[in-house]
Amino acid sequence: MSVIAQLVIVAAGILFPIIWMVSSSFKSSADVTAYPPTFLFRPTLENYTRLLQTTPFFSYARNSLIESGSSTLIGLLLGVPAAYAASITRSSWPALVTLSARMAPGTLFLIPWYIVFRDLGMVGTYGALILTQAAITLPIVIWVLLPAFDAIPRSILEAAGVDGCGTLRSLWRVALPLVSSGLVIATILAFVFSWNYFLFALVLSDENTKPLVVAAFNYIGEGSTDWGGLMAAATLIALPPLVLAIAVQRWLVAGLTLGAVKG
Amino acid sequence: MASVRMQGLKKRFGAIEVIPCLDLEILDHEFVVFVGPSGCGKSTLLRIIAGLEPITEGDLYIGNQRVNDLTPAERDIAMVFQDYALYPHMTVYQNMAFGLQMRHTPAAEIDARVQNAARLLDIGPLLKRRPRALSGGQRQRVAMGRAIVRDPKVFLFDEPLSNLDAQLRGQVRSEIKALSQRLKTTMVFVTHDQVEAMTMADRIVVLRGGVIQQVGAPEEIYGRPANRFVAGFIGSPSMNFLPVTLLKGAAHLLDGRKLNIGATLEGQAVLGIRPEHFVPAPDGSGMPVEVTLVEPLGSDTLVHFLVGDIKCIARVAPDTKPLVGERLPLAVASGKAYLFDPDSGAALPAGILP
Ligand SMILES: Nc1ncnc2c1ncn2[C@@H]1O[C@H](COP(=O)(O)OP(=O)(O)O)[C@@H](O)[C@H]1O
Ligand SMILES: [Mg+2]
Repeated sequence: MSVIAQLVIVAAGILFPIIWMVSSSFKSSADVTAYPPTFLFRPTLENYTRLLQTTPFFSYARNSLIESGSSTLIGLLLGVPAAYAASITRSSWPALVTLSARMAPGTLFLIPWYIVFRDLGMVGTYGALILTQAAITLPIVIWVLLPAFDAIPRSILEAAGVDGCGTLRSLWRVALPLVSSGLVIATILAFVFSWNYFLFALVLSDENTKPLVVAAFNYIGEGSTDWGGLMAAATLIALPPLVLAIAVQRWLVAGLTLGAVKG
Repeated sequence: MASVRMQGLKKRFGAIEVIPCLDLEILDHEFVVFVGPSGCGKSTLLRIIAGLEPITEGDLYIGNQRVNDLTPAERDIAMVFQDYALYPHMTVYQNMAFGLQMRHTPAAEIDARVQNAARLLDIGPLLKRRPRALSGGQRQRVAMGRAIVRDPKVFLFDEPLSNLDAQLRGQVRSEIKALSQRLKTTMVFVTHDQVEAMTMADRIVVLRGGVIQQVGAPEEIYGRPANRFVAGFIGSPSMNFLPVTLLKGAAHLLDGRKLNIGATLEGQAVLGIRPEHFVPAPDGSGMPVEVTLVEPLGSDTLVHFLVGDIKCIARVAPDTKPLVGERLPLAVASGKAYLFDPDSGAALPAGILP
């Protein structure tokens, strides 16, 4: 009973802002600022049509895709071998280093980071944004995959060695297929975190490279805030991570059963 | 097919010295079993041959090639792991084909070899299954198949039978032996089970604390153990050891009784008698012992008794039928008394007399 009550409270706490966001995006400008808030209203698509007509929403979405996709790719390309190397050498320091990089507040690095890219003349480029977000995706990939690699019995990797695999080939042919669910989770988490990463993108992007999260922020405070448009943008931005999160869930379950019956 | 030679081999894990210094040559086509108690360094030695463990000092040769610096992939060996280490994401067929693919064997030949090994091991119907859909015994066979298809220079086995139940173990044991006679490949087999060592080996290497105690054919190890450790480790139940004083050909036990063993030595020694070498003495002669426990095994009977406070076991014919509490006169079969140095444990050369 108390467990169910707790679940309901937690679920309500998590879901309420989302429901609020989605419902507001379908409210007319009168309804959205009504006080006390209205729960029954005539749903309208006017926020969405205005959003798509007055802003280059799709070019921001393309920026987001380019930046998150590339940084996820870089995170995987560097993080997968790094996690494998850390696992087979049984060294813990790479994990510690990446952890500490994640624990320090990003604002600490913001100014030096900006200065570095300004001196390189890279502010406002995709390159700067992709590299910055790769600094987010890399630790995520390492953190998800290190325990997954550690869970592979060493003898299986040794058997691959005896069978003729060098390190890279045993990673590619034996270890990676065995952590496939971890790989999917790492990819999706890296993508979502990078997709939602706001602060550095705000500072380093310009009008042509601006990702969605930053573009949505511009709705606030330009004269009067367009709450309906902001909520519509937020809903659209949240959609891909939401879909991916549901996919992660499916894979999480698959990953658990995979481990339980390992040969 | 190749010999394996270790010269002045040393292995340390950090400060822990696991193999102090070891010399050994395993001949081409030979089936050698490393046997010894748990933790004596058998697996470490095998993994050194495989290239999975670096050598601290010394040289290792496979054939005429010094392989210290070669990776496992470059050594052309195959290994059957204790937990089988099959690839969970591959079918049985793929598991067996993998090593050949890595070595760029043509597909047609891979198929022929896998089918052949599957026939040899009787796992043809399992080829499309994944390891998790196999029983322990079937996995064990697949692990062997994966080694066989490679046709390597040397086969390495690390206690491959220890995860099987007793009945299956006996069966697979004889199959491996038959296989070794058929394949004629050098095989190194690690076990802590002296029965496996005795039944399969051309030569047994008895290890203790990373030091070779004795190398020899099974009957040699059993019949002429080099020291008290080997004598006690090989044979089941273990050899009985009794401290004695040798005087005029007889062994005088601590409790004053004596056993006539025809020894030529005199002085302090440890007398070793295998359970199967006690024989019921003809009336009056021999050493009467008080039976404390009787275990009939069908084929023969184990009789437990005490000499002083030392527990001893004799293996006698099943028709002897002794009773607990009965005084049974026992003698030692002619020429079957072993004598060991009480301090070093080394076998005394005059210990075995006709
Ligand atoms: N990676 C390792 N690090 C430290 N000590 C080890 C390692 N591997 C084995 N040892 C030690 O080496 C000794 C021999 O181990 P092993 O070769 O596995 O014995 P066996 O196979 O005969 O049971 C043991 O004392 C064991 O604790
Ligand atoms: Mg072992």
